[in-house]
Amino acid sequence: MFEQSIIIVMLISIVRLSTPVVIGAMGGLFSELSGVMNLCAQGLMTLGAFFAMLGTYYTHNPWIGVLCGIAAGALGGLLNALITVEFGGNQNLFGLGLNMFAGGVTAYFMRVLFKSSISANVENLWNTSFLRGIPLVGPILSEFSPLVYIGIVLVGVVAFVIYRTPFGLRVRAVGNDPRTLETAGANVWRLRGLCVVLCGMIIGLAGAYLSLGQMSLYMDGMVAGKGMLAFIAVKMGQYTPWRITGMALLFGFFDALQMQLQMSTTIAFPTELVQTIPYVAAIIIMFLNSKVDMPKAIAKPYTKQKYNV
Amino acid sequence: MRNTESAARVSAVDMRQILKTFPGVVANDRIDFSVEKGEIHALIGENGAGKTTLMNILYGLYHPTSGSIYLDGEERQFTSPIDAINAGVGMVHQHFMLIPALTVAENIVLGCEPRKKVVFDYKAAVSGVEEICSQYNFTVNPREKTANISLGMQQKVEIIKALYRGAEILIFDEPTAVLTPQEIEELGRVLQDLKAVGKTIILITHKLKEVMAFSDRITVLRSGKKIKTVNTADTTAEEVTYLMVGRHVDLAGNRMATKAKENILEVRDLCLEEKGKQLLKNVSFDMRRGEILGVAGIDGSGQNELSDIIAGFRKATGGTIQYMGRNLLSEQTRTIRERGVGLIPQSRHEQGLVLTMNIAENLILGHPQRKRFIKNRVFLNNAQIEMFARERVDSFQIKTPGLRVEASKLSGGNQQKIICARETGETSEMIIANQPTRGMDIGSIEQIHKVFMDARNTGKSVLMISLELDEVMSLSDRIMVMHNGEVMDIIDAATATREQIGLMMVGHVPVPQEKRCPDEW
Amino acid sequence: MNGKLKTILLPVVMLVFAFVFASVLMRLTGNNPLLAFGAMIQGAFGNPSAIINTLNRAVPICICAFAVSFTRECGIFNIGIEGQLMIGALGSTIAGIYITGLPLAVHLPLTLIVGMLFGMIWAALPAAMFIERKVNIIVLFLFMNNIASYILQYFIFGPMKGAGAAMPSTDLIQESARFPYLITSPNKLSTAFFLVFAVAAILYVYIHKTFGGYELRATGKNRVAARYAGIPVKKYMYLSVLGPGALAGLAGSIEIQSKYFRLIDGFSPGYGWDGIPIALLSNGNPVAIILGSILFAAMHVGSSNMQMQAGVSSLIVEVIQGFLVLSVAMERFYRYILSRPGRKKEG
Repeated sequence: MFEQSIIIVMLISIVRLSTPVVIGAMGGLFSELSGVMNLCAQGLMTLGAFFAMLGTYYTHNPWIGVLCGIAAGALGGLLNALITVEFGGNQNLFGLGLNMFAGGVTAYFMRVLFKSSISANVENLWNTSFLRGIPLVGPILSEFSPLVYIGIVLVGVVAFVIYRTPFGLRVRAVGNDPRTLETAGANVWRLRGLCVVLCGMIIGLAGAYLSLGQMSLYMDGMVAGKGMLAFIAVKMGQYTPWRITGMALLFGFFDALQMQLQMSTTIAFPTELVQTIPYVAAIIIMFLNSKVDMPKAIAKPYTKQKYNV
Repeated sequence: MRNTESAARVSAVDMRQILKTFPGVVANDRIDFSVEKGEIHALIGENGAGKTTLMNILYGLYHPTSGSIYLDGEERQFTSPIDAINAGVGMVHQHFMLIPALTVAENIVLGCEPRKKVVFDYKAAVSGVEEICSQYNFTVNPREKTANISLGMQQKVEIIKALYRGAEILIFDEPTAVLTPQEIEELGRVLQDLKAVGKTIILITHKLKEVMAFSDRITVLRSGKKIKTVNTADTTAEEVTYLMVGRHVDLAGNRMATKAKENILEVRDLCLEEKGKQLLKNVSFDMRRGEILGVAGIDGSGQNELSDIIAGFRKATGGTIQYMGRNLLSEQTRTIRERGVGLIPQSRHEQGLVLTMNIAENLILGHPQRKRFIKNRVFLNNAQIEMFARERVDSFQIKTPGLRVEASKLSGGNQQKIICARETGETSEMIIANQPTRGMDIGSIEQIHKVFMDARNTGKSVLMISLELDEVMSLSDRIMVMHNGEVMDIIDAATATREQIGLMMVGHVPVPQEKRCPDEW
Repeated sequence: MNGKLKTILLPVVMLVFAFVFASVLMRLTGNNPLLAFGAMIQGAFGNPSAIINTLNRAVPICICAFAVSFTRECGIFNIGIEGQLMIGALGSTIAGIYITGLPLAVHLPLTLIVGMLFGMIWAALPAAMFIERKVNIIVLFLFMNNIASYILQYFIFGPMKGAGAAMPSTDLIQESARFPYLITSPNKLSTAFFLVFAVAAILYVYIHKTFGGYELRATGKNRVAARYAGIPVKKYMYLSVLGPGALAGLAGSIEIQSKYFRLIDGFSPGYGWDGIPIALLSNGNPVAIILGSILFAAMHVGSSNMQMQAGVSSLIVEVIQGFLVLSVAMERFYRYILSRPGRKKEG
């Protein structure tokens, strides 16, 4: 039996808290590499978390819930594709709008269904019990949700797709210079739209982890700043999957730190101020990382001729 | 001996009655255009004549409003470039469609990448490229990052791109715009090689020298209409110009003889370093009152950085600039402009105009005497603004329905005129003109040249940066050639030759002292 | 379609669609939209007392909307208004409670100024990081909002904890810091109401009638060209963020000094967020901003009645807010749809 030393507790906490940001950032990477800013991460994650809970609530099967979360994210991505890719709308405005809209719609349905800001308890995906049998590390590894492992695999898959497949090559190209890709005969809008929907699906998964993997319910505002952290982790990680994961772990560290300080009885910090730590840390990190190059065509909508009214 | 149209023989390309309209503009007015297999056919006309539009239709980027396209006698419908590429049409664009961050091979195969199951087969891409290179004697390294190769090389990459996809018909859009004279000759050889293996070539250009040297036949477009198709051997440059413009043209302006005057600008050892790269290296030169100093060089030789620094937009990392006896480098842009420096920046949409503001507002943008337009210390003096704007519009014959029209609604040429009108006013002592006539029609170019010449004749100075060597040579008193951030030499325009300048543009060491400019001319 | 007509028609169409969407949502959850909106209008305008309530609510919303609108003129998105409002309120409360012995004529404006200063300071860090180092300002503002709410909670539950109040709050501010009432019956309308018009007038004149406003607008429309023209771009960018920061602080201070007279946990139901869609839809038109603010205030005030009588959660207002911001992002889509009837299909 392992002694639950403070280090082990912190490590487990960091992994748990970083997972939604890592997964969310992987989705964001596709979007941003193809030239679409992913400010809507917060809204997508909210939709994912809410619908994952809802799916589980009605079917009592958390994996169906996960699929629902992914589907909700895909729908959000589809809306993104319509508004920003097809019609060239302002990506920042869309991001902000989706965040506000998703927050409002989910809160509204919460009142309708549960009459409160907290949902009923649903089946969760807290542990991966079949790992318990592994000698030595088994008990620790089984503490993590299967979604965490999916997340880890996802990072590898994303890295492979971006750097070793033609699809990944075109994604990197379209974020740099869409006109070049168009003259090479590829459909820029379809490519970007696909990236954006993919992004929505992956962030939906991240949301599902929040409601099913970390908690066992959905709460108003449970996404908190995680969506935004997923958004900036992409840039802070210089658009490479491994650095982004590192950045997300760093954010997770501060989050874990904040939680430990709140619970600790030996050092008395005012809880409200402790809760600001992750945000303050994020701001400092953003300041230090301000000189990163972004894909050249990012946030510049590439409009089709027929829409120039 | 060739005939222009033979009923028995089928043309490689036959575009019939092509009509293309955009909101408010007829870009192609029922044009008939045909090209024989294996010929080099020049499609010529001024900026805005409709040549690029016509070829974009052939390449599937635009859809014609009406009209039809036949390739080798078969009618084709192109809904996108993919269709055109599959039909054997390839295009080498004026602004290269290359991603700097990717390698040459990656750029060439982008869109039709060779695969090994799901993975991108980079090795196959590289060998495919090497095959084409050996066939045409191109010395391009497929694994090199595109950002690191010269513009002439980049053009070769564009050609390989088209050949890789099996193009039989190659369209070149303004191919010589960014090339040095030597590279232009090289291009001519490449065109002959391509012709020798049976490729059909269409050259879109407005440069007469290359047209007369390279083409077999010429089709002239003017204002969206086809004027005439002639055999190159049967015509002259003057006749073609006449067909292009509709009248005789004199671009060199009216140079008056003047005595040498004192220096207005002294630049010493100007350096600019950014991200580890030396963009400007020890640039030193003088500019006198009452002269036009032309700056020649291929794109990216440091001209933009130089003009940005003098205008105060960027800070140099070393060196000094004395303007009218006072140090310029430590000053803000606003102060520099108040001291009489005008700047015509190279991108009119991004740097020169606020497109969503109206013409009057654009004409007073950054005016050195802004107190004139301020009432009671804070308010806008609309009456003065209107008066000033009206005078400028009349003086430059800017075509506009009114002063309060949004600048985005004007044509490119008129937009450029707004910038010129603004920067060459009576308060400007020194004008930095960075590609001032790019994209303008000949009438407007004549006008701007006259403005510069008048300024010079009345004792002002013009630093004219241009990629059009003809413009630089005809307008300047002296020519400064830049390469790779350095000044190669400053020579007297009257005795300079294209070959001489061309060599310096690629970095060859300049010829000895005798050819340098005298103290008086 | 006529350009002027489009500028007025488009926001109206967006508003209509937003309410249509809300109605659909209500239907989906088994409610009657007509009943709901009717109850909302009743709750907001049904009697003079309610109207005054609505007008009171409109004041901070309106000032926030003007703040967002001003920043927009320089091309920046100031969504940190909510946080700046909160910190401004904090500053105002501190000055209102702890500075004693001053007459109303001095204390009231002083407290307002302190509030504005606090709001401005809270906007300063994101402004500097964005203007000097190009850090993403939207994310910065959002984080600052979160930090602000924690800071306020800290003070309310900690050093500034009020004695014997029903809900978590600080002590009451001095009488000399409170806005006098314009009318007290049937309901209390504060004199702070006039500040809205003062703000509107000053901003409008500055932006459209002064040379500085012209240079600000040029900076907003094309920053690069403005720099080439010698316009001191950074100065205007700071102005366009710090000024609204002060305005947000003003809005927060007004809330404390005219309504609550103490700093209450969660006193702002999101005035800063209301300001965003209003500013976006109004496109700088002060009349539209004022009308829009009254509309949103009505929605908030009437929503409790709507909840009671029609059983529709007041959160529908947030849905409408988000929908409107999305609509503005969809602008080109709306324009395309609106212009379809009259046009031939292009190739």
